[in-house]
Amino acid sequence: MFLGFSCLAMGWIWGLAFAPEDAIQGNSYRIIFLHVPASIMAQLIYFFMSICALMHLVWRVKLAAYLIKSAAPVGVLITFIALFSGSIWGIPTWGTWWQWDARITSTLILFIMYLGIITLHSSFSNAEKADRLMSILVVVGVVNIPIIKKSVDWWSTLHQPASISISDGASIDPSMLYPLTISIFGMALTMIALGILVSKLYILTREKNKKWVQSHV
Amino acid sequence: MINFFSLEAFKLRHKLRAWLGPLLIMILVLIAFPLSIDISQYDLNKFYFSVIVVSLLMISFLATESIFSEDYEDGSLEQIHLEEKDFYKITLAKILVHVLFIGIPMALIGSIFSFANGVSLAEAPKIFVILSISTLILFNVFAFGSALSINKGSMLGVVASLPLALPAIVLLGRGVRTVQYGQGFFEVSVLMAGVALIVTALMPIIISATLKTHLE
Amino acid sequence: MQLVTADNLGYSINEKRLFHNLTFSLNSGSGLHIKGGNGSGKSTLLRIILGLTSPSKGGVEYCKPNLQVSYLGHKNAIKHYLTPMQNLELMFRSSALQNAMKWMNTLGLNKVQDELTANLSFGQQKKLALIRIFASQSDLIVLDEPFVGLDNASRDLLNEFLQKKLASDTSLILTSHIEPNILCSELVLSGETDD
Repeated sequence: MFLGFSCLAMGWIWGLAFAPEDAIQGNSYRIIFLHVPASIMAQLIYFFMSICALMHLVWRVKLAAYLIKSAAPVGVLITFIALFSGSIWGIPTWGTWWQWDARITSTLILFIMYLGIITLHSSFSNAEKADRLMSILVVVGVVNIPIIKKSVDWWSTLHQPASISISDGASIDPSMLYPLTISIFGMALTMIALGILVSKLYILTREKNKKWVQSHV
Repeated sequence: MINFFSLEAFKLRHKLRAWLGPLLIMILVLIAFPLSIDISQYDLNKFYFSVIVVSLLMISFLATESIFSEDYEDGSLEQIHLEEKDFYKITLAKILVHVLFIGIPMALIGSIFSFANGVSLAEAPKIFVILSISTLILFNVFAFGSALSINKGSMLGVVASLPLALPAIVLLGRGVRTVQYGQGFFEVSVLMAGVALIVTALMPIIISATLKTHLE
Repeated sequence: MQLVTADNLGYSINEKRLFHNLTFSLNSGSGLHIKGGNGSGKSTLLRIILGLTSPSKGGVEYCKPNLQVSYLGHKNAIKHYLTPMQNLELMFRSSALQNAMKWMNTLGLNKVQDELTANLSFGQQKKLALIRIFASQSDLIVLDEPFVGLDNASRDLLNEFLQKKLASDTSLILTSHIEPNILCSELVLSGETDD
């Protein structure tokens, strides 16, 4: 937790204070240090959830379902941050806070999916049934992730192509890249810490009748 | 399989409201839209398609809303499970029958209305083709949604399955554009047909697993 | 010959235990009457035996491959928007349909065969649903409260039918609060509490 925060803080301070101004976008680009990590995490969390879902469906690992259930609210939060920071960024650079562009739209869809997963789970009284149904939905929904990833290339629109891609190297200057990478790491660590906190709470709630919980609390 | 198909057709034929209702609503929406907005025919021609597409999306949802709930509530699903151990065939039959009874007529209505709004007579069949293919995709997706939310009301189904339906809508929009600009229609329609086939093959497996979970 | 065996069955819902350590077996041609108060898990046990619900512990085994099971639960599995006649057409392939129609006459449903099932009385609907049991060939009959809503005549008819089936080597598992007139072994679910 502490490590995550410090990484995030370092990335942000570096990025916000020391990195050079963007030639075209000026200072407003600095929100990138929030926006990009958030967007990446939004997808990574879903990816993590889908792996858990698969584990739950195939091997019936109970813990996997708990993890999905706890990761989903974190996902909602981070996707909201990604969308929100994106629209703040959009005002100075594109002149509009919202655009029906493929990538933004699909991130919005991701946001709805997170909400859908949470609603689905909470609407069943039989928790094990809810776990299974939720896992099915998560696995099916994973189709959306490649669509989000590729949508910018398929429908080349207003949104700029991804800032970092593994094959071509970075399309931005190293002086911005380093703080960005650190922010991403920081964000990831923060999210993991948050996820662990939430899931700890959730596991305790779900297993509240078990002996080990009663002796633990 | 053929047996299931004919039984489902038999059932749906006797549920007038379930198949005629969505079609009537579709017609109503398509008529009401130009009436409710005061614009020139020229402007209308440009975006009337999006009205057709959106109403297709909504009506597809409406048509598949109770596709499984009836059999779930009256216990028929349990009986089928005892006989078949699996819902693949019944799901496939249900979806195909619904597409046949509601989807294809919907596509027909859509293409007729698009003809009335600036598409030439030669192009209308193309619209019919891509609309029919997309109803197949949409019915699969929404059938999944309604299977997920089988006894919990339709809102949940929308939230759960809408994200899956939107890519299909994007594809449909692409297809419509190729008709409007008169090029690339073949490629896009083949792509859509391919997607539809894959979805139709896979979705019943997923839905079958979902229904089994519900029965437990 | 053993037909169904259950080994160390247990079922819990939301970590609350319904029953556990149930072990029993059923021979072909014999009956089992599952007893217990409301909420003791009778219906759930039936569904586990049928393979609809998976148990939390243990398992049920069928000792005969391709076991033919007919089942009638709380839900009648009949369509209210169809007539009784059409319902039978949905239930049975053409070969068994003749037999089913005979049962419809026996149960006195032929008077209402062209009305919508929604307009039938509760008992009549139950009878219609029971035709699924009467007219199908099976190795195992599973019934959940079959006598509810039936008049005396049809109750006797059902008893008689089940006796005949037992004599012809078909097994029977049922739950009922109305004592059936059939030779059955008994299994009592006590609705135990968690320990």
